[in-house]
Amino acid sequence: MSRYEGRKRDGLARIGIFEHEGVTLTLPAAVDADGLFPNLQRRALSNVPLDAGPAFAARYHEPGSDQPASVHPAAPAAAASGDCVMAAGWHTALANPRKYVEWLVALKERVVPDTAWYAPAAALPRAAALLVYTGFDLFDYRAVDLATARGVFCTPEGEFPASMMESGVCGCAGCRDGDLKRHNRQALEREIALVARFVEAGQLRELVESRCRLDAAQVGILRFLDRQYAFLERRLPIARDVTLRANSAESQNRAEVRRYAERVIDRFAPTRTDVLVLLPCSARKPYSLSQSHRRFAAAVASRGHEVIVTSPLGVVPRELERVYPAGHYDVPVTGYWDREECAFIADILVRYLAKNAYGRVIAHLEGGALTVAEMAAEALSLDLEVTCSGHPTSGASLRALDEALRGERKMQADMVRGTLAWQFGTDVDMKGLRVRSKGPRVSVLRGKQQVFSIDPGTGLFRPTFEGWQLIPDRYRVTIDDFVPQGDVLAPGVVAADPAIREGDEVLVQGERALATGKAMMGADEMVQAKRGVAVKVRKVRTLE
Amino acid sequence: MISKNVEKPLACWRGKDLFEGQVLETLTVIFRTAGCSWNRCTMCGYRHERYPPLSEEELTGRLLAQLAWVKESYADDDYRMVKIFTSGSFFDPAEVPPAVLDAAAAAFRGKVVVAESRPEFVQDEVLRQFADGLDDGTWTTPLFVAMGLETTDDAIREKSIDKGFSYADFLQAAAAARSAGAGVKAYLMMKPPFLTEAEARDDMIRSIATVAPVADLISMNLCTVQSRTEVERLWKQHAYRPPYLWSVLDVLIQSPVHILCDPVGGGQIRGPHNCGACDGPIVKGIAEFSLTADKELLRVLAETECPCRQEWEFVLEQEQPFCMPLTR
Repeated sequence: MSRYEGRKRDGLARIGIFEHEGVTLTLPAAVDADGLFPNLQRRALSNVPLDAGPAFAARYHEPGSDQPASVHPAAPAAAASGDCVMAAGWHTALANPRKYVEWLVALKERVVPDTAWYAPAAALPRAAALLVYTGFDLFDYRAVDLATARGVFCTPEGEFPASMMESGVCGCAGCRDGDLKRHNRQALEREIALVARFVEAGQLRELVESRCRLDAAQVGILRFLDRQYAFLERRLPIARDVTLRANSAESQNRAEVRRYAERVIDRFAPTRTDVLVLLPCSARKPYSLSQSHRRFAAAVASRGHEVIVTSPLGVVPRELERVYPAGHYDVPVTGYWDREECAFIADILVRYLAKNAYGRVIAHLEGGALTVAEMAAEALSLDLEVTCSGHPTSGASLRALDEALRGERKMQADMVRGTLAWQFGTDVDMKGLRVRSKGPRVSVLRGKQQVFSIDPGTGLFRPTFEGWQLIPDRYRVTIDDFVPQGDVLAPGVVAADPAIREGDEVLVQGERALATGKAMMGADEMVQAKRGVAVKVRKVRTLE
Repeated sequence: MISKNVEKPLACWRGKDLFEGQVLETLTVIFRTAGCSWNRCTMCGYRHERYPPLSEEELTGRLLAQLAWVKESYADDDYRMVKIFTSGSFFDPAEVPPAVLDAAAAAFRGKVVVAESRPEFVQDEVLRQFADGLDDGTWTTPLFVAMGLETTDDAIREKSIDKGFSYADFLQAAAAARSAGAGVKAYLMMKPPFLTEAEARDDMIRSIATVAPVADLISMNLCTVQSRTEVERLWKQHAYRPPYLWSVLDVLIQSPVHILCDPVGGGQIRGPHNCGACDGPIVKGIAEFSLTADKELLRVLAETECPCRQEWEFVLEQEQPFCMPLTR
């Protein structure tokens, strides 16, 4: 009997507790797998390569009679909640980026989520971050011990001749004693500990974007996996309260970046107005707190709908500037936008403009952002009114912006309605609702009753029971016939709106109770898993 | 009439073989035929070598022309043994029509002939007639039937090679060969796919021990990565590695009987290899051993100082079916 409970997720990566035969491990970790799973010694002649087809796999793949349960991309998975799942031969996948992702998706889609994932012989310090990022959390020492047998010195940056040990690049106990085996094992353990720290912080993606650079296959895996948008998006939290560092070319392909743009286009409804003002971004987030945006706001004076053109998010309507990751990203600012970046953002702007018609499009932009606006205008045969001469905050530019807007009617961008639409995919009727703002704190009331309050960390709204009445049908978690005492655990969940992501606000409903709270896992996981907190409950209301 | 310049065997070369305690001059011929009827083995690249579909008459004509080319190209006195391969089965009538067998027997009369065939084509009548044609009294046993048994383990043969016959089928064919007055040669295959290094080595040690009482001659082939084969596909996926030469030495040294072993492709990435630094002399030694049966030479080679020995020992101990191959 074994158990696995995920405690913290970062996409496919998890920190969790695995218990097996009286041993409790905090994963990710490297262990003596042969000692932990004596059954591994009883799998003679059972090899089935990862690339084997369904007929061969059906005939020769065996899950094994005890832990771990071996799985194969072409065979039905025989793993249950709490099992350790072994992706046999996974060390060979690292050389095949395209297949790596194909196999990974096949395996992850068919195995229940509350399982520990063992990648035998795969863990070199160089690969640990990527392995954890792609959902593996249990490792052995085979790969580093093999390196030792071959006289190879391992670091997170790659493998080197053993003589590297004397070069001073590492000062571990193994290196001090001239013990290569000890160094290699410690290098793996240190890297796994570091990776766990980044998972804890919700910034593993940033570490992986950095770590993969010295290995073309790893960059390939990262890129192929980013193409699996639907697969990844379901597993990524809706929001984080940490900075999203968009420092590499791959950053713009992050599923979270794309999801933001998709929702701006599909779900968001702009406040009605005929005039669009495209503005540049600012380093400070949310933009409206920056010096430059205060000046833009003064010049626009509510006479147009402000939409920020930015890399890598694409377009950020003023209403959504606090929503993750718009209020949380950081990019290197060089003033230069490469063609890929321009094409990517122009495409989003084109889709936005095609969906939302404006009579006038004013581009208060320069440089790359202006190029993007020009590309979009050309694609749609729109007239673009450019109001910048020199820097957007120069007196002349601001005067031109003010001049361009002369005579236009005032409007008030509705941050609450826009955010609720982005967050819940529903257009809330704002009639009779009153917004009260105190700095970053925003609450929405109907009469004296609070209906929504903002989560300043993520920019998303938390509905009260009354607020949920304004969001019909969506983001519901159905539970069994019980009154939640504390949080709702996964086994109690009967059904969940498939749109729910980790971090989403949800309404828990059962025959005996309603509860408001925040999803701690995505819909798929809360329906399938037998362990772990599914919803962190804020308020419970008993039904009689 | 078909031009002699066009019709010649796929390959034909002279060599030496250890036979009944003496080194014989040998002629090896690989005939192009209608091709292997089974045609499914995972590591076999020879199966692509076949004529397009021909009438029996046409096929007979082409094979006789190949035979004539052999007779013209090599003087009868230059060799005493002939090893015949077809990339299939010499005794399969669909591959080699009966008229060709008769002509071949006449052509190689007085030689020792080793001819390769799958067991299902090893039949008393056919062999007796062929052996009678060869026999001029020079040799006690002028004909040996060579069969690609590969391993005595039926499960491994089926999974790793997809050979399509069992050890029992081999034994039955061996009995048929004996009753026809022919000898039996068994080909074993070291490290077909899906076996760890240790499993592959142990499979050979067990197979040799099992088949030794049944076969007059045992030849161990070392699996190589041939193009357009299942093994090549696996190898490209990093899912297959040919055997270490260290393992080969280990098997040959432990064997209770003499094993013929031609380390084809030895020392190359697609063939049996160690690290690349120590391969040369070991490959040469294994080839020499086939003729000398000098185990002392193998023992000396097995003691070669090379850092990759430690890697091999690690692989033997740590490579498992769920994490293989550990090296490339």
